[in-house]
Amino acid sequence: MPSRQPSVLHILRDAAFAAVASAALGLGLNAVRASPLPLVQREPYALLVPCPDAQGEVAEVAPSDPLLSEPGTLAVDARSKDDFSAWHLLRAQSLPYDFLEPLSKEAVKSVAESGARRVAVYGDGSSPDSGRELAKELASKGIRNVLVVKGGAPALRPVGGTP
Amino acid sequence: MSLLDWKGHRLLALPARLYLGAVFLLACWHKLVDPQAFAIDVATYQILPLSLVNLTALCLPPIELAAGLMLVSGVRSRAGALLAAGMMVVFLAALSLAMAKGLELSCGCFASTGAAEDPISYKTLLRDGAWLVLAIYVVIFDRRPLGLESLLRRPSPA
Repeated sequence: MPSRQPSVLHILRDAAFAAVASAALGLGLNAVRASPLPLVQREPYALLVPCPDAQGEVAEVAPSDPLLSEPGTLAVDARSKDDFSAWHLLRAQSLPYDFLEPLSKEAVKSVAESGARRVAVYGDGSSPDSGRELAKELASKGIRNVLVVKGGAPALRPVGGTP
Repeated sequence: MSLLDWKGHRLLALPARLYLGAVFLLACWHKLVDPQAFAIDVATYQILPLSLVNLTALCLPPIELAAGLMLVSGVRSRAGALLAAGMMVVFLAALSLAMAKGLELSCGCFASTGAAEDPISYKTLLRDGAWLVLAIYVVIFDRRPLGLESLLRRPSPA
């Protein structure tokens, strides 16, 4: 009795036929839609990849807290490079926070390899505070002892820092 | 009797086929209903050139539908499983590239959800990998598939 099992070629042929026929059906259905999707998109889609909120635990410290000036504390400035250039806390490291882009691995690595015992992050102090968001993201990526300075740079500025 | 000829494969493959077919039928539905939303999902992966995004969004869902129907009905089910396996390979490659780029997005596999609710992760890769294994099993071992085709081909008594 001859075998009824399809050969590999038959399976490939059937799969190719089904793919082509169904793709053609999809294009045909689109053509009769009330508002068909253009086959070739001319304008780029406005993509906004939403980032989940960072879930890391951070503690809040007051701008006058002596912990901020201890040698084991790494101060991290979450504001823009321009704001950092205008004023920053003494020995602070600039790590501008972008609300839309995830923190780069290099940035996390630079903090992790700093050797600091704690990381104190300050931002622009607005709502939402870039410093708080950066602190939470650093903590969620495994950095321990992350603090956020309450009120951010505006609260710190009267206390001290360097131009 | 070789492993390929074992008659139990058709019994093992049936639930695998039904499950995989249901997955594809479920996955294609929202894409067929709202191709614009699926096109944005495709574009979010930032892999295809813009000129191919809409074409992919229009052609892929009917292929998923065809694969799902073939798997569930048992009509050319191995070809359907081959289509499913091919699509899983493409999806796995796209997911891996997106994860390597650090993109935080929803996979867009089923009804669109935000990245915050259903972000891609290694779990997504494992899930798709498991589905790929099922599809390959059906392609290789389900040589006499149970289903409509086998019913229609049953020889009439002499």
